Amino acid sequence: MTTQSAAGSRYRLFLERFPVRRFVLVLLALVIAYGGAAGSIATLRAGRFSGEVWANLFISGVARGSVYAIIALGYTLVYGILFIINFAHGEVFMAGAFTAYFVAVGLASKGMLESNPIISIGILFVVSSLVSMGVAILLERIAYRPLRGAPRLVPLITAIGASLFLQYTFRGFYGANARAYPTIPAIQGTWEIGSFPVQKVHLISILGAVALWLVLFWIVERTRVGREMRAVGEDREIAALMGVDVDRTIVFTFGIGGALAGAAGILYVFLFNQVIFTMGFFPGLKAFTAAVLGGIGSITGAALGGLILGILETVGPNLFLDGAGVPSPNQLIPIVAFGILVLVLIFLPGGFLGAPDDKSRA
Amino acid sequence: MSHLLDVKGLSIRFGGVQAVNKVDFHADPGEIVGVIGPNGAGKTTLFNIITGFYSPDEGTMIFDGHNISGLKPNALTRLGMARTFQSVRLFNAMTVLENAMVGQHTRTKAGVWGALTRSSKTKSEEDRIRERAREVLAFFGDRLSGREDALASDLAYADRRRLEIARAMATDAKLLLLDEPAAGMNPAEKDGLISQIGRLRSELGYSIILIEHDMPVIKSVSDRVVALDHGEKITEGTYDEVSTNKQVIEAYLGKAAEESHL
Amino acid sequence: MTPELRRSVRQGLIGGAVVLYLASVGMLVAFDARAIITNVVNFATVLIVITFAAFGYLAGRPGKGGEPAQPFLLAGAVTGAVAGATVGVVAVLVDFLITGLEWDVRSMWTSVSPTLMELLSFGQSPIVGALLMTLLGFTAGLAAGSLHLATTITRKVILLGLMAFVFGALGAPLFKVMLDGMHIPNRWLFDRDGLTITGAIVLFAAFGLARLGSFRVGGPRQALLKVPGTSEKNLRWVISVLALLGIAVLPWIVNDFVSDVLGFVGLYILLGLGLNIVVGFAGLLDLGYVAFYAVGAYSVAILTARSSYLVGGSVTAPAVAGYTNFWVAVPITILIAVVIGVAIGAPVLRLRGDYLAIVTLGFGEIIRTLVLSDWLKAKFGGPQGLTEVAAVPFFGLNTRDPQILYYLIYAFAGLALFISYRLKTSRVGRAWAAMREDEDIAEGMGVSVIKYKLLAFATGAAVGSLGGAFFAAKLSVANPGSFTLLVSINVLAVVVLGGIGSIPGVVVGSLVLVGLPELLREFGEFRLHIYGAILIAIMILKPEGLIPDKRRALELHQPDHQPEKSVLSAEATEGIQ
Repeated sequence: MTTQSAAGSRYRLFLERFPVRRFVLVLLALVIAYGGAAGSIATLRAGRFSGEVWANLFISGVARGSVYAIIALGYTLVYGILFIINFAHGEVFMAGAFTAYFVAVGLASKGMLESNPIISIGILFVVSSLVSMGVAILLERIAYRPLRGAPRLVPLITAIGASLFLQYTFRGFYGANARAYPTIPAIQGTWEIGSFPVQKVHLISILGAVALWLVLFWIVERTRVGREMRAVGEDREIAALMGVDVDRTIVFTFGIGGALAGAAGILYVFLFNQVIFTMGFFPGLKAFTAAVLGGIGSITGAALGGLILGILETVGPNLFLDGAGVPSPNQLIPIVAFGILVLVLIFLPGGFLGAPDDKSRA
Repeated sequence: MSHLLDVKGLSIRFGGVQAVNKVDFHADPGEIVGVIGPNGAGKTTLFNIITGFYSPDEGTMIFDGHNISGLKPNALTRLGMARTFQSVRLFNAMTVLENAMVGQHTRTKAGVWGALTRSSKTKSEEDRIRERAREVLAFFGDRLSGREDALASDLAYADRRRLEIARAMATDAKLLLLDEPAAGMNPAEKDGLISQIGRLRSELGYSIILIEHDMPVIKSVSDRVVALDHGEKITEGTYDEVSTNKQVIEAYLGKAAEESHL
Repeated sequence: MTPELRRSVRQGLIGGAVVLYLASVGMLVAFDARAIITNVVNFATVLIVITFAAFGYLAGRPGKGGEPAQPFLLAGAVTGAVAGATVGVVAVLVDFLITGLEWDVRSMWTSVSPTLMELLSFGQSPIVGALLMTLLGFTAGLAAGSLHLATTITRKVILLGLMAFVFGALGAPLFKVMLDGMHIPNRWLFDRDGLTITGAIVLFAAFGLARLGSFRVGGPRQALLKVPGTSEKNLRWVISVLALLGIAVLPWIVNDFVSDVLGFVGLYILLGLGLNIVVGFAGLLDLGYVAFYAVGAYSVAILTARSSYLVGGSVTAPAVAGYTNFWVAVPITILIAVVIGVAIGAPVLRLRGDYLAIVTLGFGEIIRTLVLSDWLKAKFGGPQGLTEVAAVPFFGLNTRDPQILYYLIYAFAGLALFISYRLKTSRVGRAWAAMREDEDIAEGMGVSVIKYKLLAFATGAAVGSLGGAFFAAKLSVANPGSFTLLVSINVLAVVVLGGIGSIPGVVVGSLVLVGLPELLREFGEFRLHIYGAILIAIMILKPEGLIPDKRRALELHQPDHQPEKSVLSAEATEGIQ
């Protein structure tokens, strides 16, 4: 048996009291901050990029971030009321954009994309949103509803399975090849803002995202069903006692998250022009990162997180890494996204706008 | 200075609420201290701070001569402190015996190497763990001993409470912190509990701090009673002193009055 | 419409939708290439029949109190017929779209090929095909529904017979190779890649009768115990010895290809056992497990490679590199993996379960991205990776030969198995079990949560890196393409299918998920698709897996009582509000 003195030796107690984790974290933070700052300074000193390049990177970052933000809303809504990470949300996003591709091709063959761009784009948004919404609702019904109240690990594994299943389902439906969206001439080129040229697609994505975000905000804050969503998120049982139809509310949440993902899918193809069955996975993960960054469960947080992530992704590698002599820094974009995810979860698990950490050590 | 546990000026805040406010508190070797107070008085929060689950905003804590602030629950267990929980929390997927065996964790050493080689040392250690676990189960008579291979989740409610105490005993603690051990028990079971708590001290030499709402239990076992309300210690003394204290009565009655008002 | 009828119709519609799904993702056409009874019936048709029958069976299930909720035959038949009609009607519609409206359906739904249309209409005109499909549904549903009328024993006997027949047919190529390897004549049983009619009858009858026989004595185990001189204990011994013997002789009765597949299965057993320690024992969902596999492969590659890029060219070689003996490299590799495991684990282990999963996934991707990048190309070879990794030196044997490497891999898998068992049943295993069930309480009982989580991470990393080391030595390369997220998910699927926390489960999971798709090439294409379906289905229907670990099964069925915020009492909640 351990003797008393060993159990309580000063040395051992000191070691246990020493906040090893915090120490490591602070050290890590310092290293990263130093690296980032040194890289940035070196990049700016070298002056390889003009102010205009930076501005363009910034705007494309905002545009990209807007798309992340809209996808992130789906994660946040579902997490906010069910406390599960809907890992397959990226695939919901893919489903809409991929299906709408065929509509776009149909429209293009009729010349609609040229003659009636606004109506065509409207149709694309509707189709994509409806498909994604349908997939999201089916997903809830088949994969998640039977698992309410199961240990955390269970729906998470299901979600991973669902992600894989949906990817390969759509591969089976529409084939394994990447397909290029037909171009919509009306949104090509640039607009001059002041004397500064901004790509039309960037501006449209940003404005579209703002509109979608406002609609969602209105639904959640001002409508009856939004109130019910918040009530279910607060306490499912009490909400049910108060007469809220919990199942319907959850279906609605998945549906609206899906519809937003579908709409984001169209914004995404404006920016990246291509669809393939795997296209949802990484944007999905990045959107999740955005949701966590802003504070999961918070609608404003999702927007904020998306923007920050988008900007860091486009500006970050060039700013931090280029000057540090790293070749082809844009290859390392995934590291920015995942690095942020890891760091946020370590340092700020509640995100920027999430609930503050409580005092429990456990 | 000879207090077993000595806590001074303990405070913790959750958001805007001062859950525990400058509480001084001590327990001596071989003493049974009762902690009372209405719901939300900060009793369990106090336990959570003492046992290392929360870190306090202010205050010092000395246990058995060691400064224990900043230590994690597992280190405190090793130093000789063990607790039970208000809402019984057993390892439900484990058997009764295994639950008690977990309690021996800090008193034993076998690591990966021991597990792989299964040396005679490891084996005898494992035997000792089992023996000690049986010993603590036997304290509660047949109710636990007779069912050592049953799953913890299959036990009756009162037995689950007993097993939780047994598991705490298995840590070879000096000080047991029991959080509402009598909750949900019927009068006969409460009487049994009262005598068992008494025996824990007289036969086995444990010091005990218990939170309890049940006044007869507090009255029968406590040497000293501490009353909390709104996170502050309002008084301290023998049961008779505390139970006639005006503030204490107000704290309880005030609460009752409010409730009847609703 | 009575509720019973409505239920049957609904089940039938779902059944039809399932068949249509299988058709539209291309499974039916792909599986049509696989014969069940050669020249008689292919797997696609069998799959359709199984679907109809399954829904007919479900619809005909008696109500809760054992009382028949409705006439079984009718329910089954209606369900089957509705399912068949659904498929038939949709097929007719699609045919109309293609031939009538001349819409090129295939430009969108790539799987809607002429072959599929022919398959769904049994080579007849669309309308006749639809009628035949309805008839098929009706018959299958009727037969399945009538199973409810039979006694439990009869039902089980028939089901096992049918399963034996289907699996026997699916496994025909493998079994044929094995029988050939043992010089057992099998022309009467197998014909090319399917069964003969005789073979089908024999398999059905043999397994059915065996099941019937075992019922007589109360199950197969009891049947064996009836043999004089056996007891539980020596029965277990006999089974273990037989299993070992089986593993030992297996490479010699199958061909090189199958040995190679078995080698992969062994590799996945190794990886699965490693992940099982992390997920199953310690309860930490690690989605970046591939990182350790990659660390193992790359470390061994760097240490042992005779790679030209290291020696020649303008690229600078790492400080310690090349030409190290594999057996010297392995302990170094394991050490590196453990260090990386602890370094990754230490900052994140306090995170809640689902966040931990995502963070580990992130780490896995970070490591892959780094390895792929131009930035570190000098160290890791970029997208091409490292080549010319040395073979495992082993008493001068050629370990690139799958049959030889097989033994090495299984020896280490056996070691991992031993380690798993010993850890699980020790003080360490008990601490893990306590921790994964209730972290707070485990810590309250003196278990240092950080220490035991790190221990699990490190042990898992060590085992995983061992897998990577063999992988690199087996293929003689280590490149980033082999270390994608999908590997992590595959290993997770292996663990989940077998049963989280279950050691024999890992073996079974690897055989089923890694072995079968390699052997059944038609399935290979749909491997990930099916993995996804399995992960969902297992979690919903049987979260404890095929071979459940007893304790883990209990935990997985416990409702989630962990509060959202880690709060230890109601009082503290009040405090927070």
